Amino acid sequence: MAMKPEEALRAIAAARGDALCVPTMTTAPAWRTLAPDDQSVGCVGFMGGASSLGLGLALARPDRRVLVFDGDGSLLMQLGSLATVAGAAPRNLVHFLFKNGVYHTSGAQEIPGGGGVDFVQMAKGAGYRAAYAITDVAELQRRLPSLLREEGPILVELHTGLADKTPMTDRGGVPFAEQVERLRGRLIAS
Amino acid sequence: MPESIPAPLIIDTLKDTFREARASLAAEGVRPRHDHLGWILSVPDTHQKSVLAALDKERTLRVLTCSTEDEANAIAAGLWMGGEPFALMIQHAGLYASVNTLRGVAMDGRVPIFYMIGLLQREKDKEPRESRHSMVRYCEPLLDLFGVPHARLEGPDDVRFIPEYYRLAQKRRGPAAVLVGLETA
Ligand SMILES: Cc1ncc(C[n+]2csc(CCOP(=O)(O)OP(=O)(O)O)c2C)c(N)n1
Ligand SMILES: [Mg+2]
Repeated sequence: MAMKPEEALRAIAAARGDALCVPTMTTAPAWRTLAPDDQSVGCVGFMGGASSLGLGLALARPDRRVLVFDGDGSLLMQLGSLATVAGAAPRNLVHFLFKNGVYHTSGAQEIPGGGGVDFVQMAKGAGYRAAYAITDVAELQRRLPSLLREEGPILVELHTGLADKTPMTDRGGVPFAEQVERLRGRLIAS
Repeated sequence: MPESIPAPLIIDTLKDTFREARASLAAEGVRPRHDHLGWILSVPDTHQKSVLAALDKERTLRVLTCSTEDEANAIAAGLWMGGEPFALMIQHAGLYASVNTLRGVAMDGRVPIFYMIGLLQREKDKEPRESRHSMVRYCEPLLDLFGVPHARLEGPDDVRFIPEYYRLAQKRRGPAAVLVGLETA
């Protein structure tokens, strides 16, 4: 049974501690309400860039955990980033992949390969330290404490249904430049 | 006539540029967390390969090879938020390949990204805009269209444009580029 993405995000919000978070696509509106803090920066306006944005943060700040909330269509757009992340080997990066099988934000068209694309194998093949698939929220809750301590980079493929909101139905939120400015201010001060 | 620039000169200039950047970050209150001076985010540029080869032996500059220039731009945004100096080393084809990310990250995100872009196949005796090669011809007009300030490195004296355009990117909080006219020596 696929979990609701909001449930997955709620579980992550409860367990994250002071981790920096990088939502994108349909995780962005949900994350805004679940974690209305200034320790997050969304990948908005450059589809596929979430994992790279997270990688830059993780390399700059090895003292902080960085959690990426990627879309399956987004990751396919910049699939080579798996190898780039693996090569840079940030110990503090956890790459959550919200696998809903579709481009939900642009109208729920099926992604190339549909639900059959195996991101766990792809991440392992690229050289991630570990990669797991998790299909229900109880298991996610149970494993989160160790996933968030484990040496990265790791990929966690979350099998989800569709989110209640998308960036198209729920516009608004802070513009990317302001999010960048805000998080930079926070990081420089700490 | 343009001249080739020796790789060590480019590397020393980048080091000085990053030293200056670290000093101004320190003045902003950024605590030093790394031993290196800064990052070179690269999708290998044939034109600057002598620089990339020499960088292999550099301990103070960390080279991160990316699969795409899109990644390099997004990684740069993360490094910027974390207070790290960096430069992107790409070629003109890489600029064309990543315009959406340049727009989304460096322009809309107001991230000061400094680019070193190799003009592979640029003819010595021709203005790039008059090149026979579309790859060479469209580089400066594209940067102009996006309002990205740029200067050409046409010989050893022009390495002064490296710190100048790096600072310009910081000052305008956006992209700035130097174009490497001839293959580096
Ligand atoms: C370069 C580019 N091409 C196409 C689009 C159009 N687009 C916007 S959202 C989206 C789908 C995102 O899908 P996914 O990453 O799976 O996230 P989801 O919406 O399913 O959470 C697409 C194709 C875009 N934003 N950028
Ligand atoms: Mg999707």
